[in-house]
This record gives sequence, C-alpha cells and structure tokens, in this order.
Amino acid sequence: MSTKVIIQRLATGVPGLDEVLGGGLPQYSFNLIAGAPGCGKTTLAHQMMFELATPERPALYFTVLGEPPLKMLRYQQQFDFFDNQAIDHSVRFINLSEAAMAGDLDHVLRQIVEAVTQYSPALVFVDSFRSVVFASSSENNPHHKLQQFVQQLGMLMTSWQATTFLIGEYFVETDANPVFTVADGLIWLRQSVQRNSMVRKIEVMKMRGQPTLPGLHTFRISTAGIKVFPPAGMRMAVAADLFATAQAERLSTGVPGLDEMLGGGLPRGYSLLVAGPSGSGKSILAATFLAEGVRRGEAGVIAAFEQHPNRARNRVLVDLVERGKVGLVDSRGSDLSIDEVVQLLLSEVRRLKATRIVIDSLTGFELALAPTFRDDFRESLLRLVTVLAGEGVTVLMTSELEDRYTDLRFSPYGAAFLTDAIIVQRYIEVDSQLLRVMAVVKVRASAHSNQLREFSIDAGGIQIGQMLPDQEGLLGGRPTRRRRDEWSGAVDPAEDD
Amino acid sequence: MQQPLSSRVGNDADPALIAAAVLAIWEEIDDALTPVIGPLGLVALYRRTVRLAAAQHPWLAGRDEGVLTDTDPAVLKSVLARRNSAEAAAGGNAFLNTFHELLASLIGPSLTARLLRSVWDNPSSGATAQDI
Repeated sequence: MSTKVIIQRLATGVPGLDEVLGGGLPQYSFNLIAGAPGCGKTTLAHQMMFELATPERPALYFTVLGEPPLKMLRYQQQFDFFDNQAIDHSVRFINLSEAAMAGDLDHVLRQIVEAVTQYSPALVFVDSFRSVVFASSSENNPHHKLQQFVQQLGMLMTSWQATTFLIGEYFVETDANPVFTVADGLIWLRQSVQRNSMVRKIEVMKMRGQPTLPGLHTFRISTAGIKVFPPAGMRMAVAADLFATAQAERLSTGVPGLDEMLGGGLPRGYSLLVAGPSGSGKSILAATFLAEGVRRGEAGVIAAFEQHPNRARNRVLVDLVERGKVGLVDSRGSDLSIDEVVQLLLSEVRRLKATRIVIDSLTGFELALAPTFRDDFRESLLRLVTVLAGEGVTVLMTSELEDRYTDLRFSPYGAAFLTDAIIVQRYIEVDSQLLRVMAVVKVRASAHSNQLREFSIDAGGIQIGQMLPDQEGLLGGRPTRRRRDEWSGAVDPAEDD
Repeated sequence: MQQPLSSRVGNDADPALIAAAVLAIWEEIDDALTPVIGPLGLVALYRRTVRLAAAQHPWLAGRDEGVLTDTDPAVLKSVLARRNSAEAAAGGNAFLNTFHELLASLIGPSLTARLLRSVWDNPSSGATAQDI
C-alpha cells in the first residue's frame, strides 16, 4: 500500500496572502521573495516570520549584505507584528556579512549549515540575496557558483525540514536566473508608479503544486504590516440563488411613487444605476434609499467618493452615519484599487450586517482609483457588482451623466449593462423653467413603468409628479408643447401630415 | 535594571579588577550582539560609545593609547586599569551605560533589554571578573 505525501500548508498570517498563494505556504518549500528596493520584501518576510515562528518551530533570519541589521531592527520594530519577546527565543537573527563581503559563498553556506545544525529551525530567511549574487560575481564563474550555492542551500534546507525564503533585492524577471528554477515558490513584489500615485502589487509567479491566484494583487503597508487585497471571490452560484429569491422580495426606495414605477420596488440583491446630470438628485435618491432601509431595520453602507461626508448637504445621511446605522467607506486619495474598495465595502457590510449599499458616485470612484487601475475600470466594476450581488446586498450606484441631448446615454462607462436596473434623470426646459424628469429604463426580469415623470426636490425629499403628456421631445431637453388634440389621442394620425 | 559592573565588582575594588570586569562584560556584549548585527556593526557602536563616554570622562579617550581610534577594547581596559578605583568604576559604568543608551536609541529599550538580557540582568555571571 502506498501513501502519498501530504504537504502541509502554513498560514502566513499576512491578511489576504494565503488566498493569493492558493491556500498558504507549502511546508519545507524553498521560496524567493523578489522585488526592487523599498517594495516591502523584508517587511513581508518579518511579518510571516513573527506569525509562523514558535519555540517549537523556531526561525533563523540570516542578514547577509542588504540593510544593516541595526537599521532593519530599528525600522521593523515599528510594525505591530514585531515581537521583542520572540527574539532569541523563537526568532534568531544571524549576521553573515563578513563572509558574504569576502565573496566566499562556501563560507556563507558553511555558516548557514552551522547555525541550522545548532538551532534546527523550521523557518529560514536569507536577506538579501542579491548581495550574495553580487559577492559571487567577483569569482571567475559567478553563475555557476551561484547556482551551486542555491542548489546546495535548497537541498540542505529541505532535508532539514525547513521552509526557506531567499529575499532577493533585485532581479530582472526575464533573466534566466538559475535561482528561479530551483525555487519552489516565487513571490514578486512591485511598486507601480503612475503620475503621483504609487500602488504596491504582489504576484505569486510560481508556487509548486498550488492553485495560486494569477496576476497582480494590490497590497498596502500600514503599522499592522502588509495587507493583500485578493480579488474577492465571485460567488456566482450564490448570486444565482438570490436572483430567484429576488423575484419574491422587493425593497422600497423610500421615494413615494418610484416603487410603483419599478414594478413594486427594487428586487433584493439587484444593482441599480441612477444616472443623471449634476444636481439632478442622484445623491438624495441614494440617501433616501439608505434611510428607508434603516427605517425598516436594515443597515446600509455608503462608499462616498463625491462630497466630503461631513459637508454633505444631506443631513439625513450624516445622521445615519453618526448613529452607526450606515457604514461609511471614505475614499483615501487617489491610490485605491478596486479590490481594496471591495474589501472595505465587504468588511463594513459584514460588520453591520448591511443589506443596502450605495456607491456615490462611479465618477468619483473612478477618480479615487489609482491611475493604473482606470484602464480596467469596466472589468473591475463588473467584479465589484458581482461580488456585492454574491453577498446578497442590494446596490445603488450613481453616475454622473453629461447632459447631452443628442443621444440617450446612461453612463459614461457602459456600466449600464452591468446593472440590473437603471433609473435615468434629466433636466428639461419647460416654460423657461428647468424641470427634472425621471424614468425607469430597465428592471431585469420584471415589469416596470415606462413613464417619464416630472419630479421635484423639496425639504421632504424627492416628490414624483406626473407625466408631461402635453410635451414631446423631453429627452431632447427642449420639449415642445403638443397640440391638445394630438395628445388626447382623438385625432387620426393621418391628419397630421 | 541591574548595573552589570557594580553587580560584579565594588566601586572600591582594585582598578585592574574593575578594568578586567569591564572587558569581560564587553566580551559578553560581543557574544550577544555580533551574531545579530555583525562584527562591523559592533565596532561602529563601540567607537561611538567611547567617543560619547569620553565627553564625560575625557581621560577615557586615553590620548596616548588612542582609545578613540583603536577598535580593540583591550586598549580601553589598560586605560581604565591605570586610574584609581573610583575613576575606573565611574569610567567603566559610563562606558557601559552609554553603550546601552546608544543601542536603545537605535533599536528601542525593549529590544535592547531583550538582546542584552544575559549581560545586564545576570548578576551571577560576575564570577569571571572576581576570579581574575
């Protein structure tokens, strides 16, 4: 009878990283953490080390030629995960700079072996590796020497049952570096700079035997350490179930008359796009939607990218946020990624058990994203909507609509097709007045009104009025009054000619 | 915190004993820190410490012996051994405390205490100095 080996996976303790790795770090694997200076390699290594190391599973951290150890200790201490009490207990730092500086790789290896033999670590970190490459380049055959070193190290560490990390300061990805072949795992950290915004990205280029999440994933470094934002899983199956149940339950928007226009309210779990020009009342509709939820005992979350929340005109919303009935996800400048926004929204949704989400507005949202993500805005938006739908929440998004009277557009992103329902607002000119009209354009899998209704905004919120049947060409913005006998329908159309 | 020098030798001990104790303590520091920060890192700290301590006790600089320029702590030992007991104890304490403060200013008091706990909080290790 043969029993296959079971590879244990270590939970790294870095939020989001295990997901990207495809379920944690394989035990006894030989990994490379690569990237340019300043992209967070040492921080990642330390965070994993302090999380994973225990007195029974100690870690050795070899400092080679990179950052002087004193500086590393000085700065890494600023992170919450850095535990002074662990040092010389479950975590041990060993400096190898002397041998490395002499360029003697054999000596470096001997010292590593010596320390590994003495302490039997379960985790070994070598920081940083470029230094080793550099040191060995003075030899006659640097590549050969280096490969030998890495291969020996890899073999040794695996036999010693140690999970190993080589921290590489600088590698050219396209370089056929022998290290890449030897390594079981290859984690690449990057800083992507576009204009004035910098976004950190992590990529697991290789992790033997694991279904890693491909591609670049954003991460952020705070005093808590690294936090990776993997793409939130698209729970399509759940979404499909909800679609079925949505048919049964409808949510009130809180605007009298609008629910009827929607065919009896907005189906739960739907995403609604409210498109309209500046000042047409999108944010007020969104706030009303949240307030109605709270009135019915449902918490909400708003991602506000438009106005400063405290300066918002809508006192109702400010009050709801202050009372903790509505969670606020505020934009943090211009370096957000969609995945981070999704995480922020989801954590608020879960914290408050919220059922209604407002994104106000997509226009502001796009501006809050780091420039590097704007090219993929539509794809990201689709992901956002899908993930939120999978969570079972109902989403209302507003979108600034440039008032163009020559064509009928609902959103500048083509976001219309992503959403289940669309309400469009327009300005029209009637009798030298600027009036507002609103129509329900789409409610997926549901009957809805096709009426274009005039509406106004007063202290009580949005008041839906009547149709303007005596006007025609409303969507052109400058309607003309129809002859009374025409709209009464009494006249034979043939007589028009 | 235990003062490593006074816990091993009295302030009125023979200056040679005091000097030997300082050197012994320094060797323990060396053992504790060199693996972590490397020999060069420790030498840099040593030189800075001597310079700072010599500001309080100028004789520590040992103008003739060149304590400030030499990286061998044995030179410091010989300078200490030539003072009277009180001076040697004061100079030795200043040297060790300055070193501790310097390290703490770089990596924080808590990590400093952690790394040097075998030296600072271990009065029983004084036996070596007494034996000399």
